Amino acid sequence: MSQLAPQTAPVPDLELVQVSKMFGDFLAVDTVDLSVAPGEFVAIMGPSGCGKTTLLRILAGLESVTYGQVKIRGRDVSAVPVNRRTTRLVWQNYALFPHLDVAGNIAFGLTLGRHDKAAVAGKVAQMGALVGLDDFMTRPIGQLSGGQKQRVALARALVTEPDILLLDEPLSALDAHLRIRMQAELRRIQQQLGMAFIYVTHNQHEAFSMADRVAVMNRGRIEQLDTPEVLYATPKTEFVARFVGSNNILPGTLAGYDGDVAVVTCAHGPVRVADAQGLAAGTRVVVAIAAEKLRRGLRAGDNTVPAVMRGREFAGSHNVFLMDLADGTEIKVVSHDGAIPDYGAEERLCFAPEDASLIRGAK
Amino acid sequence: MKRNAWIGLGRLWLGLAYAFMFLPLVVLILFSLQANRFPGFPLQGWTLQWYARLFDDGTLIAALGHTMIVSPAAASVATIIAFLAGYALNRFTFPGKTALLGLVTLPIIIPPLILGVGFLGLLARIHLSGTLLAVFLTHVVLITAPALAIIQLRLSQMPKALEEAAWDLGASEWQAVRRVVLPFALPGILGAWLLAFTFSFDEFIIAWFVSGFDQTLPVAIYSVLVAAIDPSLNAIGTIVFAMSCAVLIALEVLLIPYLIRKPDA
Repeated sequence: MSQLAPQTAPVPDLELVQVSKMFGDFLAVDTVDLSVAPGEFVAIMGPSGCGKTTLLRILAGLESVTYGQVKIRGRDVSAVPVNRRTTRLVWQNYALFPHLDVAGNIAFGLTLGRHDKAAVAGKVAQMGALVGLDDFMTRPIGQLSGGQKQRVALARALVTEPDILLLDEPLSALDAHLRIRMQAELRRIQQQLGMAFIYVTHNQHEAFSMADRVAVMNRGRIEQLDTPEVLYATPKTEFVARFVGSNNILPGTLAGYDGDVAVVTCAHGPVRVADAQGLAAGTRVVVAIAAEKLRRGLRAGDNTVPAVMRGREFAGSHNVFLMDLADGTEIKVVSHDGAIPDYGAEERLCFAPEDASLIRGAK
Repeated sequence: MKRNAWIGLGRLWLGLAYAFMFLPLVVLILFSLQANRFPGFPLQGWTLQWYARLFDDGTLIAALGHTMIVSPAAASVATIIAFLAGYALNRFTFPGKTALLGLVTLPIIIPPLILGVGFLGLLARIHLSGTLLAVFLTHVVLITAPALAIIQLRLSQMPKALEEAAWDLGASEWQAVRRVVLPFALPGILGAWLLAFTFSFDEFIIAWFVSGFDQTLPVAIYSVLVAAIDPSLNAIGTIVFAMSCAVLIALEVLLIPYLIRKPDA
């Protein structure tokens, strides 16, 4: 467990116990366990179809669980219908009510039961101010920009003071600049309210820049749940290594250990990787190395990999070289010096054993 | 200029098209105000006698009254049924859904003559034949289908997330329908009502079979027409046309601004 969710913590805001969801024969969510500490920002990241949106809909109560328990603040809500849950969902396409204006949308959740009109108006105005919509309260929804709609959707959910806010790719419809601004703003609002956020995205930058912890999902399972730093530096599965960051993957077979350094036989020769897992010799493994940890040239004590220069992506502050290993494996190398090798040239790439991760291979 | 010639020709064509469409109406209005007993030239002077006769006689006015009871009532009931059915068809998958849809749309496909015969037999058996209630019931059956088509089209444009968002914010099923689905469907509901009303208002064949002495307007007009050529028909036609115009203008003024407001994606 990460230090952000210690065992001694108070009742977690959200706890999933062995949650599974079947659609007919299709296992959309497969035995997911997850615990979210009070006020924690957790991102659920994965490719489309990995079950992340289904998981979020289960939390909202829009889908039932086939098996397992959903607990919110210690209470089992698995059988509680969506309109009785203390979670609120922010939709990818906002799902704003087109016949209401901004204030009407924000007020919706407050006006369903008995309510005091003045108190509702006060809360709506306050929430409008929090998301920066004070001047737009009487605008029809059709006249808002994407970013403004996003804020209305957020305000409409937050004003009901949920225990947990669920966000389903809320920034994916915005342009790049606005997305980055909204990321900062979401994080600010989350901190200010001290509310647990569960944020579903396929975008690594969004997940890493906002979340305290990130869960990487694949085929209905959470493959790894860690802080962005740990996730980036030490992916635990091949899928995570491929999905997160710009890792290069070298498949091989574990030859044995030399102290706390594993020796892996790869296509081009032996590779040394710092590792404490103590896997059995002969295990199929992959070695993951971040693109920026690969260097051109030779250095004592480092692994050396021969590669052939194939192409280049210029990213402004740096170059990304695309190279091929002898067995055809594609390799990406981030380079900050200006020198560009000739296409087709033989290069030597090196990396330190402690910069790579050893991962037990997928079957 | 050659270009101008083409434009002129185009305008002439447009004028002819309009004339083709509106000439019968012009003739109707013109001869409702002319002393001629038969619609023909030369004109024999302006008069309101046909209108006076229309009101003195009272048959056609009474029929108009019947129609103005039956058609709005039938349109309202049909629209309510159509909304409920449309909502169910749009939201749920259930066994027999296709069959139900086919069943509801069946009255559109069956020739009204056949339906009329069928209704006559059925209604005679339950002693409803020849009443306004019979016309009302048969019209509900007939006009639910087109109303459903329009409402379902509108509902199918509603993102599923909209209703889910209402639930998520704490709304019960009923509250979500009342506060989100109904407002969204409103343009469709109004359109459906209007179309259903028009269908019922115009409907002749079935009404002729089942209406008996409480005739609706189209049936009454036919009866008058069979007996003799009576310029009162022009007068009642003009009155109905004027009413239609008034309703349409009112609708456009009230409804169009609402309809053209773009639905939010």
